[in-house]
Amino acid sequence: MNLENFELIYKENRVKIKDKAKIKSKLGEIVGNENVSDKEIDILAYNKDTTLITLNWTLEGKIAALPDFIVWPETPEQISSILRLANEEKIPVIPFSEGSGVVGGAIPIYGGIILDMKKFNKILEINDKDLTVTCEAGINGMNLERYLNAKGYTGGHIPQSLYTSSVGGWIAHRAAGQFSSKYGKIEDIVMGMELVLPQGDIIKFKTIARASTGPQLDKLFIGNEGTLGIVTKATLKIWPYPEKRALISYAFPTFEDSLEATRQILRQQIYPAVIRIYDADETNRHFGHIEKAKDKVMVVFVCEGIERLVDLEETITRETCEKNNGIYCGEAPVEHWFETRFKVTETSSTPTFKIVADTIEIGFLWDKAADMYHSVIEATKKIQGVMMMTAHVSHFYPNGVGFYFTFAGIPPKEKTDFEFYQEVWNCVVKTVLDMGGTISHHHGIGLNRAQWMPVEWGKSFDTLKSIKKLLDPNNILNPGKVYESAWKEGGRN
Amino acid sequence: MSDILDKYKWMGPIIQKMDRDIKRIFMKNFRMRDKNFFPEGDYKADVKNLVNCMLCPNMCRFDCGTLQAANSETMSPAYKARIGYYLTIGKIDPLDPSNKEFIDLMYKCSNEESCKVWCPFEFSVVSLLETVRDDLNDKGVMPDYCKEQIKKLKKTNTIEDHNIYETYKEKGIENIETDGKDDVYYYIGCESMKFPEVVKANIEILKKAGVKFSTNLEKKVCCGGPAFNIRDLKIAKELANKNKELIENTGAKVVVSDCPGCIETLSTRYQKAGIEIDVKFIHIVQYIKDLIDNGKINFEREIPSEYKKVAIHDPCLLARNLNDTESIRAILNKVPGIEIIEPIYNKQYTHCCGWSGTVHWAEKNIAIKEATNRINELKETGASVFISACPECELGLAYGISENDKEKIKIIDVSELLMKVI
Repeated sequence: MNLENFELIYKENRVKIKDKAKIKSKLGEIVGNENVSDKEIDILAYNKDTTLITLNWTLEGKIAALPDFIVWPETPEQISSILRLANEEKIPVIPFSEGSGVVGGAIPIYGGIILDMKKFNKILEINDKDLTVTCEAGINGMNLERYLNAKGYTGGHIPQSLYTSSVGGWIAHRAAGQFSSKYGKIEDIVMGMELVLPQGDIIKFKTIARASTGPQLDKLFIGNEGTLGIVTKATLKIWPYPEKRALISYAFPTFEDSLEATRQILRQQIYPAVIRIYDADETNRHFGHIEKAKDKVMVVFVCEGIERLVDLEETITRETCEKNNGIYCGEAPVEHWFETRFKVTETSSTPTFKIVADTIEIGFLWDKAADMYHSVIEATKKIQGVMMMTAHVSHFYPNGVGFYFTFAGIPPKEKTDFEFYQEVWNCVVKTVLDMGGTISHHHGIGLNRAQWMPVEWGKSFDTLKSIKKLLDPNNILNPGKVYESAWKEGGRN
Repeated sequence: MSDILDKYKWMGPIIQKMDRDIKRIFMKNFRMRDKNFFPEGDYKADVKNLVNCMLCPNMCRFDCGTLQAANSETMSPAYKARIGYYLTIGKIDPLDPSNKEFIDLMYKCSNEESCKVWCPFEFSVVSLLETVRDDLNDKGVMPDYCKEQIKKLKKTNTIEDHNIYETYKEKGIENIETDGKDDVYYYIGCESMKFPEVVKANIEILKKAGVKFSTNLEKKVCCGGPAFNIRDLKIAKELANKNKELIENTGAKVVVSDCPGCIETLSTRYQKAGIEIDVKFIHIVQYIKDLIDNGKINFEREIPSEYKKVAIHDPCLLARNLNDTESIRAILNKVPGIEIIEPIYNKQYTHCCGWSGTVHWAEKNIAIKEATNRINELKETGASVFISACPECELGLAYGISENDKEKIKIIDVSELLMKVI
């Protein structure tokens, strides 16, 4: 085979490796020859992550980007040696584990070395008294959760990508699970870490409940997206497996009613593990079979924990929903959500209709949440080609919420897929930034959002870039992401 | 087309609201969908589901035995489907010898079908890969390791380079010829012949229960399972017809086998290939369970102390294809004094031994790693006796035992354990 049969999207600015055989040999000395590959069959497998537009490319026989080598290290020391070699040779290193990211964070746009973390897949210890699990960072989320469940615990971090993501990926992208209102986002769950810095130093943050020992440096690495360090091991909080689950659902006449009800629930310090508000379009799409919910706003709740607490949470949740015009829909919609939450089929069908689709999750404080939702929907629906722009609210805090927009459309004749895609994204991001929200709640920045980082961060972005330069002076670790706007340069615009 | 329209009914109002130009493009895309991405051609591959699989975010990846063994994205189900699609539409040329590794990937599956449990489309990846193998065979690019198996099947009627059934005498296995009036035919798998103690135990159990049965080892041939895996349907059907004659000549209305792969082949795969045999096919554990329930087998001895604590390894073919996870447990639960410890991944969520499909031919190291992973899961139970009901599992799991553990760990069949107490 020759990869020339495929159109390579990111073919400019690739790193030039003078003596590939020498580098391969040196990598082999570090990890063993069986753990290095430059075979076409392997480098093609690592050409992308799960960024939705790359699925359209895949169907059309296009390759997002190609790495030069794949390595599968097994120890932090090996990662350290790989990074030292990469610094000497000025070769990019892109950490990869399960490839479920949707912002292009693992796409090797300049080529280089994909550092696959899959062999860091061991569960090292459960400490029942401390309620912690220590594991290697490459472990698949579902395999960790299944293990914990079998031992009588839950990790509480259940993203829709649970089956397809890793602990390291969660930490790298500052992820959130669907049960986050009770258990928190990953930054609330991580208690300790071991990681390798870009120049090869191995550092550890000890496992502690809280401390007052200067700035909280470990937080710098939660959400670093493989640009400041590679997490090799983590200690996470765990909880006893819930004794009881209450499934509750309400249909509200308006989006505002649903937001108000959930805000009041949290204000009373009631934290259902799952809260999800679906706007009317999404309600019709996902709960079309529930007659009472037709054209309304469906909200599903899951309260879980010890029975007495769950009973109280259920009582207050139901009272508050009813006070805010909620119509009780029973357990069935929540059961339906449980049954379908991992049945992801749309990513397979939309590209075959040449539909350009994506999801955009953003964060907002309560005060402007409803206005922001309407503004985004109104603004994007004006874009020619947008067939669908809907949202659900997926993450809730006493002070704010995380929205999850989904768009799908057909580019008009005069626009490429990429131009259309970019126009929708620009519109959403501009609206969010103008109204004071944040451009990502839990997917991260990666490749496609980096262009808006200067506005998102303002002056403080210079500080972040200084830290990157200090830790990674040769810009070895995952270049083209977070700090620079490579999406436009490399994309098809 | 109607299923698509039904599935996307909610899109009706959206399409109505589209502006005219966009609607025109959308309708064109809809009409051209097949031509664009599922072009007509001289192939058997299930391209629509290959596309469904290759664009899926790999929702089954965590339970794919070969991926968990290889720890490489190359082994991920969606990537296998992607390569299958590219081989089908000619984006990767299967006739180019430099693409051999891409062809090999189509065989790197252990057929465990864990993927089907989690698949949003409810298919197994191997069911897709088999359709790609059909086309590879038609193009004459069947891998050499598959050709070798076919050669053995043709030469010896078994999956060995000699007719393994001929070894029954030297292994001390009794052959019971049929008189054409059997109640039961005990169908001994090729791989089972490598475990004569299991075969002898099954014969003994059937005898003790007073079952009228035969084994017909002089005429016995492979069920054709390996040929079905490789998709050489010609040799598979030849073997199927030989088996049909063999089984029908016994007069038995029930066929029991010690190998779940044989039962799956004799029943489901024969039926799909258009070969009907009017008998009931069941795995022998189910039959033995019924014999115990009906009082035909009694427990007369204490279980030896070294077998008191056991872990169950559910064979994936028995658990997921034949949907029987209860017979083994029902039998063991009746053994006085036994302690059964379940591994985390059990029953329909069991993990494979690595030896069920074609990966052990295509890349043996992955199959061995899969076996090692499973042994580690079984070891975590604290038991050192692992009970199974499949010769492939006994064969595969043995590869996963380290030198240090060889003296400590015993992998035995349910029937072998039963022989210690009846």
